[in-house]
Amino acid sequence: MRLNKLLVAAGLGAFLAFSSAAHAEKTLFAQIGGEVKLRRTVDSFVEVMLADERINFAFANTDLGIFKRRLYDQLCEITDGPCTYKGRNMFEAHKKLDVTNAQFNALAEDLYKAFDRQGVPYRVQNKVMKLLAPMQADIVRKRTGQ
Amino acid sequence: MLFGLRCVFASLLLPALAHAGPFDRIGADGGKLLLTAGFSDVEGAGGGGIVPWALITGYGSNQSWGANSHYSDVRLREFDLRTAGIAVGVLDRLELSVARQEFEVTGTALAGIEASQDIVGVKFRLAGDAVYGQDGWLPQIALGAQFKRHGGFENGGALVSPTQLGADEDEGVDVYISGTKVFLGSNLLINVTARYGNANQFGLLGFGGDEEPDGTVNGEATVGYLLTRKLAVGGEYRMKPDNLGVDDEGDAWDAFVAYAPNRHLSIVAAYVNLGSILGPVTGVNDDQTGSYLSVQFGF
Repeated sequence: MRLNKLLVAAGLGAFLAFSSAAHAEKTLFAQIGGEVKLRRTVDSFVEVMLADERINFAFANTDLGIFKRRLYDQLCEITDGPCTYKGRNMFEAHKKLDVTNAQFNALAEDLYKAFDRQGVPYRVQNKVMKLLAPMQADIVRKRTGQ
Repeated sequence: MLFGLRCVFASLLLPALAHAGPFDRIGADGGKLLLTAGFSDVEGAGGGGIVPWALITGYGSNQSWGANSHYSDVRLREFDLRTAGIAVGVLDRLELSVARQEFEVTGTALAGIEASQDIVGVKFRLAGDAVYGQDGWLPQIALGAQFKRHGGFENGGALVSPTQLGADEDEGVDVYISGTKVFLGSNLLINVTARYGNANQFGLLGFGGDEEPDGTVNGEATVGYLLTRKLAVGGEYRMKPDNLGVDDEGDAWDAFVAYAPNRHLSIVAAYVNLGSILGPVTGVNDDQTGSYLSVQFGF
């Protein structure tokens, strides 16, 4: 009886180890759909964001071509794609902008919508968001009591 | 009854305020992500259905505020519990809530008896952020208190106060600490709450009793799975004290579907089991199971 349980546990353990190993082979970059899908997502994101009155004013003087390339490189890099982000770090890039939590969240929502437009599954979207969420600490201006 | 009407009025008024113009006209920014304002639990706190979360209610960010009103109906085999309330979240830090519960016996020989309870809730976020802290273990942690006052029984003949059932008091305070964390990588929301108090059936049967007069610590938990940005399913479990000899009070649980199409409306539907209620008195010892439906308006 005890042996049976051991065998079941061992089998389960092996299954879990195998399935997680199989899962680990595919990068998040690949799960999104690779370069083509990610570049289209960045294009959609800029469209959604420019129509979003909560944050579009902040990009009025931005060179959108450069912005798209930088954002692509950054998303590609953090999702283990074959890219290197060469722009400023998030703290340096935002320290003069007085970004609020509400604006940070608005941007996150626009990125969700862009992924939706490109048909990237919600579960994959959230894996990207998991990597982006901690950047809140560098991007949003620190205020007393927060 | 009057209170109920007022709540319905508030329900209409709150979204009207939000739609009166851009959010900033009333200083409310709607700055949180969908679903991250939580819902209104059965005691009026921001949470799930029967468990309060560490999230501060409303969609206001840390520089703003939000508010909502809700109406919930729990239809059990032999009982009906209706709750209406309003709540305000300030600076994503402080939550204040007022709720009114109306409890009605709809079956057994006691059918027709009604009870009511008023609950004033306060919740303060101590640390952490349930969403941003994806790279660390720290959940969002909040400390809360619920000040409850039983309004007595109606249509109960000689029964007018829960003290006649063996309860020590007709008012009491629950103190709780909640930890809530969203695990984006696995689409999970997990909340754990520890509550200290002596409320019998949430306080609807008074506070403390012949079997246990003092407060005890009980655990509560919610696990939610995020299906989309607007839709979640999950379950909750809430341990309850058993203080009264006339009531074999048991634990409660539910399985829910929660939907927030936008920042002004959310709907929660659930299958709920509140355990046995007044079994030794009614002769019905079965668990009280049924439906839970809650609608919340706000911003």
